[in-house]
Amino acid sequence: MSETKPSIRRTRAAAGRRAARRDAWVNLMYVPALLLFLVFIFYPFLRGIQISFTNWDGYNQHYNWIGLENYSRIFRDPDMGKIVRNTAVYGIGSAVLQNLIGLLYALFLSQSIRTRGLVRTVIYLPVIISGLIMGYIWYFFFQYDGGAINDILLLFANEPANLLGNPNANVWIITFVNTYQYLGIAMVLFLAGLQSIPRDYYEAATIDGAGVWTRFARVTWPLLAPAFTVSMVLNLTGGLKLFEVIVAMTNSGPGYASASMSSFMYLLYFGREDAGYAATVGILMFVLISIVSLVALVWLRRREVQT
Amino acid sequence: MRNQGLKVLTMLLLTALVLMGCSQRSGTGGQAQPSESSATPSASAAPSQTDSPSPSKPDAGSGEKIKLTVYSTIGELKNQEMMKSIGDAFTKENPNISVEFQFPGAEYENILKVKMAANDLPDVFDTHGWAVIRYGNYLADLRDEAWAPNLTDTIKPVVTDKEGKVEALVLSEAKDGISYNAEILERYGIQPPTTFDELMAAADKIKTESKGQVTPFFMSGIDNGMIGGFLDLYSTSMYISPQQNQASKLLDGTFDWNNWTPLASKLLDMQKKGYINKDALTAKYTDLPKRFAQGKVAFVFGAPSFADEVYKTNPDAKIGIMPLTTMVEGDAPTFSGGERYTMGAWKDGKHLAEAKKLIAFFAKPENMTTIANATKLPPGLKDIPSQHEFASYYEQFKDIRVFPYFDRVYLPNGMWDVMCKTGTSLVSGQTTPAQFADKMKQEYERLRKQQA
Amino acid sequence: MSIPMSRTRRSWMNALSLVICLIHILPFYILLTTSFKADDDLSSKWNFPGYLYLDNFADAWREANLASAFKSNLIVTVCAVFLIVVVGSIAAYPLSRRQTRWNKFIYALFVSALIVPALTILVPLYKFMVDIGGMNRYWGIVLLHVTFNLPTTIFLYTGFISTIPRELDEAAMIDGAGRLSLFYRILLPLLKPITATVIILSGVAVWNDYTFSVFFLQHVDTRTITVALSAFFTQFSSNIGWVAAGSLLAALPMIVVYLFLQRYFIEGLASGAVKG
Repeated sequence: MSETKPSIRRTRAAAGRRAARRDAWVNLMYVPALLLFLVFIFYPFLRGIQISFTNWDGYNQHYNWIGLENYSRIFRDPDMGKIVRNTAVYGIGSAVLQNLIGLLYALFLSQSIRTRGLVRTVIYLPVIISGLIMGYIWYFFFQYDGGAINDILLLFANEPANLLGNPNANVWIITFVNTYQYLGIAMVLFLAGLQSIPRDYYEAATIDGAGVWTRFARVTWPLLAPAFTVSMVLNLTGGLKLFEVIVAMTNSGPGYASASMSSFMYLLYFGREDAGYAATVGILMFVLISIVSLVALVWLRRREVQT
Repeated sequence: MRNQGLKVLTMLLLTALVLMGCSQRSGTGGQAQPSESSATPSASAAPSQTDSPSPSKPDAGSGEKIKLTVYSTIGELKNQEMMKSIGDAFTKENPNISVEFQFPGAEYENILKVKMAANDLPDVFDTHGWAVIRYGNYLADLRDEAWAPNLTDTIKPVVTDKEGKVEALVLSEAKDGISYNAEILERYGIQPPTTFDELMAAADKIKTESKGQVTPFFMSGIDNGMIGGFLDLYSTSMYISPQQNQASKLLDGTFDWNNWTPLASKLLDMQKKGYINKDALTAKYTDLPKRFAQGKVAFVFGAPSFADEVYKTNPDAKIGIMPLTTMVEGDAPTFSGGERYTMGAWKDGKHLAEAKKLIAFFAKPENMTTIANATKLPPGLKDIPSQHEFASYYEQFKDIRVFPYFDRVYLPNGMWDVMCKTGTSLVSGQTTPAQFADKMKQEYERLRKQQA
Repeated sequence: MSIPMSRTRRSWMNALSLVICLIHILPFYILLTTSFKADDDLSSKWNFPGYLYLDNFADAWREANLASAFKSNLIVTVCAVFLIVVVGSIAAYPLSRRQTRWNKFIYALFVSALIVPALTILVPLYKFMVDIGGMNRYWGIVLLHVTFNLPTTIFLYTGFISTIPRELDEAAMIDGAGRLSLFYRILLPLLKPITATVIILSGVAVWNDYTFSVFFLQHVDTRTITVALSAFFTQFSSNIGWVAAGSLLAALPMIVVYLFLQRYFIEGLASGAVKG
């Protein structure tokens, strides 16, 4: 976030330190936000951690403390491996696809094409639709009976395909739908990034005799690094928490074949009446997402600095 | 640019305006609260106040308006209107008590669970089969109500706990067997089967002779209750209803779960032989009515609660019901059942007396008849006449034994979902019958230990 | 990087852009055909009906009680977005201008809230909401939305404010302006583009929310659109015409808002999010 040059910064630091104490009351400005955060996120989250040490069923007033039992259960749960793997596909798979396709689209749309305003709007449109509704729309496509894809398939084959019922395919179908829906965010971030690259950089590179590819590798890509960081982190956290699309398309099924940690947690909480374990899965999820996004963030920020 | 700026500004202004309206509205609501919660522990804040968005007076003294909140699982719009009209009739008799119905639909159980956790229940709510096990701690005792002795003999034990406490008024009972398309059975000359083998033979006949046009059974894996429902129904005919049964072993925890494998295999066989719709894993329950109406489905396990949706597409459809076939030789067919729609009163509700009054009003014979005719289910009180297309079936099968749902009695809480999910997984080929049995055993033991 | 293009290349580009458009519009096309089709029309979803049929819209509007749902949504979204902008922007000011170690910690705390799974905190949150009497009240859910949208908002505002030269602050302070009036008079007007971004991002999140709305606004009269529709879907998903029409109606207002603010949106992102 340091946009100022180091020299300016140093001189200001001295003056700043003097002003610092006198200026501390400015911090009052984030007190409302902090209060909301403490009351509605921090405190309930602590209670959530507390619940993870119990065998609470999710509604009774009585429960027992069972120590780390829920945590050791996670490692014995035969469904867990599959669910963590799915979550990784939803998170990392869609983040990679969204960024790749988003970047290509952004590069394409930064050309002077007459229709680019239209294309940009169309690609971004799905972002503003609720994940639940988007899931239903795509269900119309992949439906076995009268689904849009099977209507086409039947022109060439005798048998419709039960795509969502196939435990190997449906995780990727859901990843695809999530990619489709939030592609626009990556694209818009990259477009914004491209806009902020000064023209003369390209001109200078062209004078030096750089071709299209070199210009991209030397100028565009390095200068897009901040956009890439933000887009990657937003898409990762979004994908790793994926829930609504899964509920609308497969309801985590067949069995738990397409469950993510979020949707599994939901089923544990309300279906299996296993709130203690659900909370534990939630904590594990929090830890995993934190690690993944932190690693991604540190790695991406370092890349930004190097270039 | 200037123009755009103006737009943003107007939007912000608009925002401010609406905000003022909204804070006013919430402000009046908020003020009613503190005076109460300071008097009593906050958890027991009255639902009629917390539930209403419009400002309401905190004190419900004499002559003051009282609002009762009723949560119901009824899904069909038509039946919701029916319930509301009975509520309106009640208000006409008791002008100071208004009744407000909520029909949360698919989210009913989740919302009620969260409400229980926060000890913030509606004045009156539906127990849909869980009166004793799940909601018992929150329900008021209704045994002294005038209607209580009239509960039918089949339903009375279901909604009465060990101490004799009556949990709820049962508006309608569930008697789940098999629903079938009477026209299809007639067309292929099939009598409603009474044994499982006959049922499979009928399925084979329908499938072959219709050249695959008719799917014998419909199941849905997305609303996985249908696959779980099949297992739950047949668990009764396999382990409970025969003379030689496993009931006591299931209760004391010594049941040998290897016995589960044959039941699971039967389900898998049905799928492998193509008796179940091909898209069983991804079809939704709501796909059923249309296919049933088009004559593409012969049998459905469970009650014909989809009937009205069928008539929308095909007004002449003929739906029959029959008890569940036997699974073990020498046994007789059964129904699985329990309470379907009920009204119980929250024991800590602020208007308990009024809630009981409302329930008593619904228990009046004329209202019970209206409900039975609308829901097309047998009423939970004795001597209630009803007139609908299934009434004659229920009359015909009135002596068939009714067992409580298998999972409610013999499986610990939380097993239902395991059974559904693993059943779906079985049908999709990810799990073998033996693995299914093993999974059931593991979870059964874990949950028993946890709930002990 | 607009480099002069040959005419043939340009027309290829235009063609390609149309193809991309077509691919991305497909789901909306299916949504349209489905919503304009009568219930007994069993033709393929690809076929656009050759007749004008609006019953689905009228029925969905009535049966899902969308009139009252729209009202709730409007109240909740407008209040929440307004507060998100106010609370978020003033919180970002000290976080970007006074980067003490403590403030960096607070900033990290805010942003990490992005990761907390909503379900883990649902029940404690619900209990707390019942205790403070915020159940089924608009102010209750508005506060929740504000809180859960603050992480992204603070992230964006902090990034944006740090791109505004500090010299501006200092000049104003020399003129004798206090920090607060400086913020309102000098900075706030400059925040317009990023505010558009925040309005769109948080507006969409609040408008479409399901998880909180279904539990905290259970009341039929206060139900929001997504909740009303999902109840409607589970009940009538055999009638996909209604489902499609309802979805379309629900999405329309957000689409309109987006079209209005689109230009600012990208401008705000360009300076707020993607500059280091």
